[in-house]
This record gives sequence, structure tokens and C-alpha cells, in this order.
Amino acid sequence: MKRIVFIPLAMLLSTTGILAAPTVEQFEIEGLISPASPKALTSELEQRLGVKVVDLNLKNTDSGWPVLSVEFDSAKLSKEEIEQAIAAIQDPAGHKYQVHKGPAVVSAAYTDEEEKAMAALGPDAPDVPALVNPIETSDESVGRGKELYLKYCTTCHGLNGGGNGPAAHGITTFPRQLWAWHNADSSADGYLFWFITNGRNEMPPWGVVLSDDERWDLINYIKTIKVPE
Amino acid sequence: MARKVKPPRMRIGKRIKEGEVFKVKVRFEHPSFTGLGQVDTESDPMFNRAIPVSFIRNMLVYYGDELVSRFSMTSAIADNPLFTFKLKAVKEAPVKVVFIDNEGERWETTGDVKFA
Repeated sequence: MKRIVFIPLAMLLSTTGILAAPTVEQFEIEGLISPASPKALTSELEQRLGVKVVDLNLKNTDSGWPVLSVEFDSAKLSKEEIEQAIAAIQDPAGHKYQVHKGPAVVSAAYTDEEEKAMAALGPDAPDVPALVNPIETSDESVGRGKELYLKYCTTCHGLNGGGNGPAAHGITTFPRQLWAWHNADSSADGYLFWFITNGRNEMPPWGVVLSDDERWDLINYIKTIKVPE
Repeated sequence: MARKVKPPRMRIGKRIKEGEVFKVKVRFEHPSFTGLGQVDTESDPMFNRAIPVSFIRNMLVYYGDELVSRFSMTSAIADNPLFTFKLKAVKEAPVKVVFIDNEGERWETTGDVKFA
């Protein structure tokens, strides 16, 4: 008999709201900036409101903002109250937290003045990673690249790509150590091509000297340069 | 986060001769945030969004009424940057530098070029 009485009582309480089912809401949090921040936020929030923090997802969220999942009793608390509580908590480092609203990154539209300037002086640099290497990495291509490298690049970048060629001595900007690009994936091609074509600081724009194919061969060779042991 | 931005300041040499190349220095106290923070430094270090991003987006240089140059910048720009560039003194006219940040806010500063 006792058992039969017990079950309807629980159901009765839940329907009247005394034992209401907990709700879980998600908040995007601004201000999580130091390693101490997540713990400070979750423990403070649990202490102040008596809610349960289910999860704080710092990585792999859709918008990139950390997502805090809070389980609370909707009969006692509202979403706005939790937002206010989050805004009132202070980080040990002195930062304040806030609930992020709106788009992930706020960037204002270009003003008329900027539009005019870009029309007069040219837009930003093109999206270089979009370039694709038309020449496949093969021994022949790498061989041709090596010949070009020894002819044009060694004076500054050195025989083994260490940035220590004889001419590097008098250059204020240090020549790059090319072994950084060892086995780089194809997304680096566009950047390297753009850099070789246009040059920077003391590096001349090789686009006027080498043809497109020669520059791609060179990139294929650069990717084989290893750190000397 | 409250930003502390002071109006930009410009410095131009006083003895400029006609046809000479002169230096312009512009100092702008503007904070720069990539907006990223590294919270988990032990198990799997990776950046997450921490605060709204803020940086100077464009710097436009006018010499007289003419637009001379545009500096395009990213969130990699330093806090409180100091810009130095050179101009050729072809006329006695004010040099105006305009800053616009990623929130669309605008600041400007001017300096006079007078031939000695």
C-alpha cells in the first residue's frame, strides 16, 4: 500500500510546480580570459544562485564564444536574473563577465570615406591562400627548383636555407629560415607564391625575374628543405 | 570592456624646404585586442573568444585636399601605435590623418606644413 501512495505524490508535486522539472539554458560568455576564469565563474554562480552548472564548453562551439550550460528551476529563477548575476561576478584578475549577444564578431560597415579611399587607392590585398599550385611535387620539379634556388636565393637565404647567406650580413631584416616550410601543406602555397612574387623589405619582387612556373618549382623545392642535423 | 582612447597627436618638423622629403609622426593611444584568450593552458591549449575584438582598421593620409595614402591594418596591430611616414613637400597645406577602427569610430588630427 505504501508504495502506491508514494508515486502519485511525486506526480502531484511535479504538476503543481513544487517539484518542477529543471530547465537547462545556454549562455555565451564574454570575459573568460585567464586560466583562473572558468572556475571562478562557475563556483561563484553556483554559490550565489544555487544553480547547477552542467557544462562550460570553451572549445569547438559554433560561434567561437564559450558556452555555459546552467540547470535551474524555472519556477524560481528567470533567464534574465542569471544574466544579471553573471554580469555582477568579477574575475580574480579584475575582468567582468558578460553574456554575449548578437553576431560572433561585430565589425561595422565601411564608412563612405573608407569606400572612397579604397576606390581611389585600391582595395586590400587579395585572398592569397586561395591560390593553388598547378605543378605537382615531383623529383623533376624539385630539381628545377633547386637549380633556381642555388642561382637566386642562396646569397641571402644560405645554401641550406638557414637565412645565413653571405649577403644576409648587411641586411637589417633577417632573411627567413626556409626550413620552417618543410613539408608544409598546400594552404601555404598561395602565401609563399605571393611573397616570392611581391617581395618584402630587402627581398626583391621575383615576379619580374622568374616566370610563374619557375616560382612554383621553387616552392616545391623550398618545402623539401630540412633542418640540418 | 571600457576602452581608453586618447585623440591622436601629430608631429611635423618645423624647418621644411620646398621639394624636400619630410617625416610625419602620428601617435594614437588606442588599445588593440585580437579578442582571443587561452583559458585552458594544460590539457589542450587552444584559443577561445574572450572579449570583443577591437583594432584600428584604416588610416587615411590627406595632404591638402588630396588623399595620399591608406594604411590597412588587422587585429595584429600594436597597442598605442606610432606611425612614421615620409611625404614630399610640394605645397603649403595641412596634413590630415584619419583613423577608423573596426567599430566604425573615427578620429582625426592635423598638422600644418609651412616652408621655412
